[in-house]
Amino acid sequence: MKNRLKRFTPVQRIFHAVLMLSFIFMGATGLSRMYMNTPWGKWMGSLFGGYDVSLAAHKYVGICMIIGFLIHFLYLMIKINWLNFPKSVIGPDSLLPRPKDMTDFFQHIGWFFGAKKLPEFDRWGYWEKFDYWAVFWGMAIIGVTGLMMAFPLFATRYMPGWGLNVAFWIHRIEAILAMAHVFIIHFFIAHLRRHHFPMDRAMFEGSSDLATIKSEKAAWLDRLKNSGELEGMLVAQAAPLRRVVFYCFGYAVVASGLFLLIGALVNFRFILW
Amino acid sequence: MTLKHIIFKPLICFALPMVTCVFIVSGIGWGQEETASFIRRYKQYEVSSGYYEQYEVKPRHERPFVEIPGVRTGRFPYSPSGAAVRFNARRADAHQGIRFYENRRCEDCHMAQTLDLHTIRANLTCRQCHGGEPIANNDHYFSPMNPIRRHAYVCSKCHQGASAAYSAYVIHEPNPSLMATQESFPVLFYAFWIMIGIAVGTFAVFLPHTILWGIRELFFKKETTVEAPHEKQT
Ligand code: HEC
Ligand code: HEC
Ligand code: HEC
Repeated sequence: MKNRLKRFTPVQRIFHAVLMLSFIFMGATGLSRMYMNTPWGKWMGSLFGGYDVSLAAHKYVGICMIIGFLIHFLYLMIKINWLNFPKSVIGPDSLLPRPKDMTDFFQHIGWFFGAKKLPEFDRWGYWEKFDYWAVFWGMAIIGVTGLMMAFPLFATRYMPGWGLNVAFWIHRIEAILAMAHVFIIHFFIAHLRRHHFPMDRAMFEGSSDLATIKSEKAAWLDRLKNSGELEGMLVAQAAPLRRVVFYCFGYAVVASGLFLLIGALVNFRFILW
Repeated sequence: MTLKHIIFKPLICFALPMVTCVFIVSGIGWGQEETASFIRRYKQYEVSSGYYEQYEVKPRHERPFVEIPGVRTGRFPYSPSGAAVRFNARRADAHQGIRFYENRRCEDCHMAQTLDLHTIRANLTCRQCHGGEPIANNDHYFSPMNPIRRHAYVCSKCHQGASAAYSAYVIHEPNPSLMATQESFPVLFYAFWIMIGIAVGTFAVFLPHTILWGIRELFFKKETTVEAPHEKQT
């Protein structure tokens, strides 16, 4: 039975999976250093070979992540339809924010209180766009400050050394923000909401449950119906074994994320520096 | 044409003037070379040490941008440490005349300086940077800690290749959240609070948003009639 709607291409899913793994890894190695004077941080650091090795690993994986980001950027540049350029990136299929996102946002909040109708979201809800651009901007900020600290001698050829003090704090706060956002808000939206519980498989399977789309992304569904693309985009759900793999992978990452979140919150007051 | 011509004609036409040029013009060339290399030779040195020829004119790299209240307005008055103007900052023994200094530990008197990465994380002792007795003021002319030579005498013991700009890193970093930091290290203060503002702003919006959403959805059942996707949802 074809009851799912195609949503992500394999390349996009690979980007997401690589990002998940490297994000968790960077979070764990980074937090293990930040919490080095607590038993929790020491234990986590020992998983990665100690205080020094976790920094080395943090740098290598970080550089891989930046390369991944650049590849993603190239991917965007290739995917953009440059022939009718400004038009091709402002439609409802684009992740770029548009005025409707603002009205959707307020209407959605009205709906939380029962005051308004559920907005008819198009392909990307405003929260999904926010997630995407938050990661985009976060990668740029954390990447640049991280590179400064990974190559301090090179960086201080172009800036005074106290720039490293500043870079460090920007890096740290942006990383905390990113982790808190992913481990609390992103996980909640993708797993704990009633419509998605226990897990929204869209990012692994590549397709979304049609019923969910119908109630949540009504405008997109209408658009697909009217243009006649719908039939071609319906797929059956993945084989049970693959679904088991998706659940295991997803929940392994959620569990590690929540472990980091709880450990970090519990030990927060013991940080010395 | 004989072989003699073939060899001698070019010799007279080209080689002789060239040899002459080498001898005459090169005199000028040597003079130029002297000045040129004077600049070239010192440039590298200047950049790394702040020395300009034999004069010390750049005690700290960021000085031109630094505001010293009542003394100078900088173009970029947000860097650390430049505004610190105090007395007795250039003595050969910073602790001269301080009683019972010998019997006490550094952290008894300099608590604030023990809270930095090098002391807490890298387990350095104060003396690994500040040296043995007497501990000169950091700005004392001959102190190894003087910013004009700190990178070479102190930092590069551990950080190979440290430059003067590198050693403008603020070792005893002030707590960025404190109001006092707004004066001692404004960039750090503003960067910290702007980032905190972004973080708090994000959560102030999305945390209640997500919680409310979760609650609302408990009372909202999505349709499960997937058989008929062609009907418009009401
Ligand atoms: C008895 C308290 C006391 C102890 C112990 C002490 N200091 Fe000081 N130190 C001072 C005071 C007071 C000053 C400020 C002198 C002034 O400003 O005229 C000072 C100044 C300094 C300075 C110069 C600061 C500058 O701006 O140039 C350095 C460096 C320093 N101390 C390092 C140390 C180190 C390292 C130790 C441990 C070996 C230490 N001190 C132990 C009281 C102490
Ligand atoms: C990694 C090297 C390093 C270590 C370790 C170190 N210091 Fe410093 N210290 C410096 C530098 C560099 C400065 C100059 C800061 C500046 O000019 O901005 C400084 C400045 C100071 C000052 C002057 C006030 C200030 O904050 O600028 C005092 C006092 C001081 N150090 C005390 C200590 C004490 C006490 C310890 C041990 C707990 C210690 N230092 C460990 C490098 C070090
Ligand atoms: C005795 C050895 C030693 C000396 C001297 C020393 N450092 Fe360090 N420094 C270290 C070690 C070890 C680390 C790594 C700390 C860590 O991994 O947490 C470090 C880390 C740093 C970092 C990286 C900080 C970050 O946020 O990533 C900077 C910048 C730095 N030092 C600057 C300096 C400067 C400037 C001086 C000279 C005033 C200096 N160091 C002198 C040992 C030293």
